[in-house]
Amino acid sequence: MTLISAGDPPVDKATPPPGRTPAADDYSTLKVVPVRHPWRWAAVVVTAVLLVQFAHGLFTNPGWEWDVFARFFTAETILKAVWVTLQLTFYGTALGFALGIVLAFMRLSASPFLKSVAFAYIWAFRSIPLIVQLLFWFNLAYLYKELQFGIPFGPGFFTFDTMGLVGAMSAAVLGLALHQAAYAAEIVRGGVLAVDSGQLEAAAALGIPRLRQLRRIVLPQAMRSILPNAANEIISLFKGTSIVSVMAIGELFYQVQVVYGRNGRVVPLLMVATVWYILLTTALSVVQYYVERHYAKGAAR
Amino acid sequence: MSAMVEVRSVHKSFGSLEVLRGIDLEVRTGEVTVILGPSGSGKSTLLRTINHLEKVDNGWISVDGTLVGYRRSGDKLYELREREVLKQRTQIGFVFQNFNLFPHLTVLENVTEAPVAALGRSKKDAFAAAEKLLDRVGLADKATAYPKQLSGGQQQRVAIARALALEPKLLLFDEPTSALDPELVGEVLDVIKDLALQGTTMIVVTHEIGFAREVADTVVFMDEGRIVEQGAPADVLDAPQHERTRAFLSKVL
Repeated sequence: MTLISAGDPPVDKATPPPGRTPAADDYSTLKVVPVRHPWRWAAVVVTAVLLVQFAHGLFTNPGWEWDVFARFFTAETILKAVWVTLQLTFYGTALGFALGIVLAFMRLSASPFLKSVAFAYIWAFRSIPLIVQLLFWFNLAYLYKELQFGIPFGPGFFTFDTMGLVGAMSAAVLGLALHQAAYAAEIVRGGVLAVDSGQLEAAAALGIPRLRQLRRIVLPQAMRSILPNAANEIISLFKGTSIVSVMAIGELFYQVQVVYGRNGRVVPLLMVATVWYILLTTALSVVQYYVERHYAKGAAR
Repeated sequence: MSAMVEVRSVHKSFGSLEVLRGIDLEVRTGEVTVILGPSGSGKSTLLRTINHLEKVDNGWISVDGTLVGYRRSGDKLYELREREVLKQRTQIGFVFQNFNLFPHLTVLENVTEAPVAALGRSKKDAFAAAEKLLDRVGLADKATAYPKQLSGGQQQRVAIARALALEPKLLLFDEPTSALDPELVGEVLDVIKDLALQGTTMIVVTHEIGFAREVADTVVFMDEGRIVEQGAPADVLDAPQHERTRAFLSKVL
């Protein structure tokens, strides 16, 4: 079989069409010249100079007092304070998210009463500044001298002295957790809403029990959108614990203030706190990466 | 033969929109019923009422002699608790238009989830049964894959295996091939045909007229929430009695 039928005029491949050179037809042999970006290079140079200047200052400016920094960075009082900060973060997160999950499902429930209560809680605790709230909890004993455990409006079984029960530390944890719960509730609710409704329908059609639907089908998928926001919240709570210093609790920022109040070395001690905050935030980010990877199973991106 | 599904004067409204306006339907054991009709005719809603994904406003439905979603005591019908409804649903397999596979679980986990969670089967038994089912739908080699790694046709075949894993008395298909690329429709229809040949009782909502002609024992044509006509495929598809059936068929054939 031939592509050229007998009736077609013969084609002479050796003769190029008039007005064109053979080189112009074959671009593949030509050298490619990339676009130049002179202004980009100028910006790189300016930025690099500024960075080097800053780094140079870190080493040559005696005001940083790196020897003082080194002395206090791993001092016992500071390490203890770091531990208090971590405890505040842990309890604030754990209790905050536990209550937040309950609130989220209250808001997602079919009961108008439960919905409204959860809505009101979130509204209230997002409206009150954390520091105001913390001072309220700190002064709880002023409002309620004793706390009683018993039948509502009936006889009580156990009575606690408020001062003894709600010390500074528990007031701080309470405040952080209640504050965190309002934000956690919205994050969890957002995550659950992001799961395709067809997933619940399929689970219901297969007769999978309700709790198992949530635990096995909905929550693992909701975690995909919950995690980035939750990590944000945990990190911001971790740094936010510094606000507790107003209650004279020996967490990192308070302890640093105490030390520079005594020795006057403000900058190096602020750096001690700064570097600890950076290190631990980095650790949390690494944890976030691995947890997110776990919940990305089966996802395309 | 006895009736597997009985639908009696079923009404259903969404707000002011009446989607089902008095449906009566009987499906006999071992038979395949295909429901045809224009979109918005209520065919998907009817299918969803049969496993109580939608509650009926009026009328009743029974599957294998048991009321769906209600329990009779004296002269009252008591609404079943969710737990009891879920138990009823394990007898009725449902295949969705958009597959609705669980994306975070492997193919094997998708198929074994319900037998383990709803029927209390041991994982070992469920896995062995699932492997047989996957073999039956031609996906034995995909057991450890995640749904996103499969084509639409493969995903729908997994969804069919997932529904079969509960060994249901009845299978409901809601437009099982409507979300598929044209070249993938055949592989899914082949699996459904195979089930029909083995005597599975099925109700299939579809737009595939050729499938209806070949597989259905009964073709039901619905329009505006009513059954316009029903009968053997040869009667309904080739000699329709109603103008609306003729108009619909002339558009899709």
